[in-house]
Amino acid sequence: MSQSKIIGAVEIGTAKTVVLVGELVGDSTCNIIGKGACSSQGIKKGEVHDFKAASNCTHAAILAAEKSAQVTIDSIYLAQTGRHLKGSFNRGMAQVSSSHNIVGRQDIERAVEDAKCKQLPVERVYIHHIRNPFYLDGQQVDEPLHMEGSRLEVGYWSVHGSERKLSDQIRVINAFGLNVEDMIISSIAAGSMVTEESEKQAGVLVLDIGCGTTDYVVYKDGYIVQTGVIPVGGDHLTNDLSIGLRVNRKHAEYLKLNYGHALVNKKARDEKVWLIGDFTIGDRNLPRFAICQILNARLEELFKIVKKELGRLGTRDYLPAGVKLVGGTSQLPGIDLLAGEALNLEASLGRSPDWVQEGLRGPDYSTALGLLHYALTGHQDGDVQQTSSKGLLRKVARMLNLNFS
Amino acid sequence: MQGDNFNKPDTMFTGNLSGEPIRVKIIGVGGAGTNAIDRLKLSDLTEVHLASVNTDMQALANSLVSEKIMIGRGVTRGMGTGGEIALGRDAVEADRPALEKLVNGCDLVFIVAGLGGGTGSGAAPLIAELAAAQGALTIAFTMLPFTFEGGRRKKAADEAMGLLRKSCDAVIPLPNDVLLQTEGDEATVLDAFGMADDWIRRAIQSICAMLLKTGLINQDFSSLKQVFVERGGKTVFSLGYANGENAVQQALDDLLLCPLLHIQEYSKKADNLLVQITGGTDLTMGKVNQIMATVSEKLGCRDNIVMGATIDESRTNSVEIVVIGTTVLSKKSNYEKPPAAAVSHNSDEPLVLDEPEQAEALGKTPAPPEDFTRSRYEVHESKLKKKKQQANLFDQNEFMFLSEEEQRGFFDNTERNLYDGEDLDVPTYLRRGIKINLKE
Repeated sequence: MSQSKIIGAVEIGTAKTVVLVGELVGDSTCNIIGKGACSSQGIKKGEVHDFKAASNCTHAAILAAEKSAQVTIDSIYLAQTGRHLKGSFNRGMAQVSSSHNIVGRQDIERAVEDAKCKQLPVERVYIHHIRNPFYLDGQQVDEPLHMEGSRLEVGYWSVHGSERKLSDQIRVINAFGLNVEDMIISSIAAGSMVTEESEKQAGVLVLDIGCGTTDYVVYKDGYIVQTGVIPVGGDHLTNDLSIGLRVNRKHAEYLKLNYGHALVNKKARDEKVWLIGDFTIGDRNLPRFAICQILNARLEELFKIVKKELGRLGTRDYLPAGVKLVGGTSQLPGIDLLAGEALNLEASLGRSPDWVQEGLRGPDYSTALGLLHYALTGHQDGDVQQTSSKGLLRKVARMLNLNFS
Repeated sequence: MQGDNFNKPDTMFTGNLSGEPIRVKIIGVGGAGTNAIDRLKLSDLTEVHLASVNTDMQALANSLVSEKIMIGRGVTRGMGTGGEIALGRDAVEADRPALEKLVNGCDLVFIVAGLGGGTGSGAAPLIAELAAAQGALTIAFTMLPFTFEGGRRKKAADEAMGLLRKSCDAVIPLPNDVLLQTEGDEATVLDAFGMADDWIRRAIQSICAMLLKTGLINQDFSSLKQVFVERGGKTVFSLGYANGENAVQQALDDLLLCPLLHIQEYSKKADNLLVQITGGTDLTMGKVNQIMATVSEKLGCRDNIVMGATIDESRTNSVEIVVIGTTVLSKKSNYEKPPAAAVSHNSDEPLVLDEPEQAEALGKTPAPPEDFTRSRYEVHESKLKKKKQQANLFDQNEFMFLSEEEQRGFFDNTERNLYDGEDLDVPTYLRRGIKINLKE
């Protein structure tokens, strides 16, 4: 058993903090041996808003997970979201140096260095450098080493975030006495679970509509070409309802879950729903039409923003596999229809693959599962694209970790 | 004999009674302001003077108001500003003497302007400044542009709001986005603007009625000034009206459902509150008490409330409540505390605490790990405060009322969520002008 390592995958979400415990055996197997969840507090729009409350619920979730697995976690893989995460596409270029025009190892290194060299403003750190395909004299190649050409180009999708916001989350874990092994942005974690290799090759958009944020990732030719966070989620739906119908949040949430629909049904114009439904004082009936109107307006705007963010990548030709919706808000009835219409893509609800245990297949766990998947693939030395920048990533996490000795 | 006594101008009686009347002037600035003034029909308040100020000669010529001031003839040649704020400002500067004369000697000046255009945004702040400079209590009603009118107008309106807040005693914004909500599906543009006019009318009428009419509970000008002691803060403004058997309760419900209470331009809590209740002859002290208790509880103000109640014989069985509140910037911490704390709070002690001190005071109740937090990064006080209110929130959940925390809007103390110049935390339906019809 000396080879096995116990890792915890933690997603501090706006609605729920989810922890999965995985046992890494050797380099190829990860057994999920425990899980824990706790409803979140002190998190708004994916960012730590109240440190103490956030710590308490995260610690409760980790404890529950450790208890269910009856082990102690060695280190944590942490999912990251929040509007402070930004991404940019950087290109690097190198002229092939050898006289035979054969690409050598140092040419690749130079191109990669060139792409990663963009300096960030103070207080911002890179989280991921995700490599996109190499181009040799304009031709896309997967592995340029020993190929012939004169000009080698490479693109990187680099994700960076605010150092302070990132360390907020890391400190939550540190306060429990654990170190953060690595951070992965939520969209990539969720995306890796709900898409198949063929879809990634063809081109697919994964939209994780959570409680506080909407995270998206675009795959094309098997590479991650764009990621992003839009700080709008289920909380906004609830807040809109609460303001529009002038009810409190609790009731707004209830109305959203029970009577919400993403599409406005013109026929159901006169349908009324009860706010509480048990004839208590203060109970009143509300038009369902109004509920759907408010939800529809918000979601349609959200999809419009996504479409705008994607730009030329958001077309049907570029993304033949369409859009996959995951996250808590994707459970709203009719949301797939609206997404398909607003984004003009094939829309479907994302599902975790069949090998995942029944109880973990729900949208709650897809990000945490993705983290474990990432932890596993990160330990292999194979050429998995999203882990190609492993070394730097580690450094970031280590840099932000507080010292515990 | 007696008659003679009264007719003589220099007896002690008449000399005392007539005194100096309070001079109230309502000034409409710019196109929207002028239009609003034209439609303003104040019932039986002859003491109030109306005036229009505009750069557009044509619009001014059509105005029904007696006192019209054309500004910037040399700047715009009487053709309006075409949305140029700088032109609006220049026009005021050019005609400063005329405007000084306009506000000269007024005790109470209401400025009604539509912000976002040239004259409204450019001229209104300067007129407010002039009025305030000569000592008038200045209250501005500003109509804010629809979101779909674009970012430029919104930016102009925001800037003008900032300037107005500096010089006015109170600024009451009426966002057009919200106006649209209050009307039904079939409402025309005219109806929506009519609604704004109606709100302005009711607010002005209430304040004037309080001052000029003798009421059940009478208030004078000095006590009105008490409400507006400090400038620059956000305001609270809400109207409620109902008639029928259960008018008091319904008017209160209407007041608390007023969409203006639920948007971010307004504060949810006030430090100083002006409450004017107008009712028929059946308005009893008991009803007044019920209204005051609810209003002060919901708006979190206990210390400084100025209340007036007037009787209007024609309004039997109906109640109208108008609430205008101001917040004091330096005391912000005061009203964010839960009411329980506010009661026991000694208002004499200094209210502005140093941040670390306050954090300590509030952080004492939870367990010690707080120190760990503070040692590395200072935690914003709002985060600590929220924790304390949590306990309060759970108590409230037992009942079916809006709890304090919930009323304040969920995203209030998070960063603004800007995307393409729009704040995404504001409900989309409001920004897109989609009407939500709650009543059929």
